[in-house]
Amino acid sequence: MKRLIRGSLFIIFTSVIIYLSACNSGSCFEETESYLKASFYDNSTKTLLAPDSISLHGLNSDSIIYNSQTNVQPALIPLNASTDSCSFSIEINGITDTIEFKYSSYPHLISKECGYTFYHHLDTTLFHTKHAIKDIYISNETITNLNVENIRIFY
Amino acid sequence: MWKTFAYSISLLFFLNYSMIQVNAQDTISFPLKIRAGIELSGPVIYYTDKNILNAEGFISLDLNEKRSVILDAGYLNFKYSQNNYSYLNKGSYIRVGMDFNLLQPEKSQGKYWAGIGLRYGLSRFKSEVPSFQKTDYWGTTISSIAQKTNWGHFLEVSPGVRAEIFNHLSIGWNISLRMLLYTSTGKDLKPVNFPGFGNGTKTITPGMSYFIVWNIPYKKIQVIRKKEVKEQPDENDDTDTQNTNSTIRN
Repeated sequence: MKRLIRGSLFIIFTSVIIYLSACNSGSCFEETESYLKASFYDNSTKTLLAPDSISLHGLNSDSIIYNSQTNVQPALIPLNASTDSCSFSIEINGITDTIEFKYSSYPHLISKECGYTFYHHLDTTLFHTKHAIKDIYISNETITNLNVENIRIFY
Repeated sequence: MWKTFAYSISLLFFLNYSMIQVNAQDTISFPLKIRAGIELSGPVIYYTDKNILNAEGFISLDLNEKRSVILDAGYLNFKYSQNNYSYLNKGSYIRVGMDFNLLQPEKSQGKYWAGIGLRYGLSRFKSEVPSFQKTDYWGTTISSIAQKTNWGHFLEVSPGVRAEIFNHLSIGWNISLRMLLYTSTGKDLKPVNFPGFGNGTKTITPGMSYFIVWNIPYKKIQVIRKKEVKEQPDENDDTDTQNTNSTIRN
């Protein structure tokens, strides 16, 4: 009889633990945006250095992403999933440059709660003017919602 | 020499123990059964939520008083939508495995089951995202993902209980913990839910099932029952000790 009680208690206890451990609240707590993450580097020392100020907006868009903002490191640049390229006007310490990214986009399910977003695969060729920007290095071509650096901007 | 001595002593102990066990054993008649069950929560959930239809049943066969093999099969038609996407998935699944009864045969009598089941699951399903939308800096992008047939493989551990309430009729429940092994959907388009497993975006998902089961006895076996032997001080031990002592004295 003791074994029966012990066995039953073991099964009930295991069941409750399993059920509780696997429960979730049904809300979205994950990052849903897939930004291109651009880190800023000092071209002379090749070390991470945030610009004194940065302004950023997409060409053909009236909305501003950064407006003379300080301590931006990294810059989060949104790509347009409806097109395979987009261009940005970037002002680093008062000097304006233009960058054009080429990429392909594909859907990605974040979770049942958060739904779908677009991930992007960055082409290795990108175009930029060289007023403030000296060079751009692609460190990771896959653009996801994870906090992983994609490009390094040397200025 | 020492090895031979140790072996002889071990053998003596083993024979002595075996004889005690044989003397303490008894047999009971135990019915082996074929079972056919239907899962009850699926239709109940469908009654309250027409977006989830899950129909499931199983057949199991007792191998002995402890173990039975089980084949579980089902069908799922799942529709889900929230503010930025809708999702459809329908398909069928099978699970094969074994149930282990933790009850002693004299307690279970072929009527009661409290134990753990282990299963391997295989699912074939068609999934589709009729529409999803993403709003960001550039505006709203509306897209869809075409229907595609995929496979899923998983393992399941399911502790539970079952009891015969009427002649040949049992009810029971179990809780399942399923571990995803593989889906052919790829890592970007994991299934929101797929038949037999549940939420395919997670590696481990829970489940709960309620069954009504029809039991058909097909064979009776004799099961050796082990009596609990209480260790009592052996009178011979005292005699032996005395003899030993006397030997030492001599």
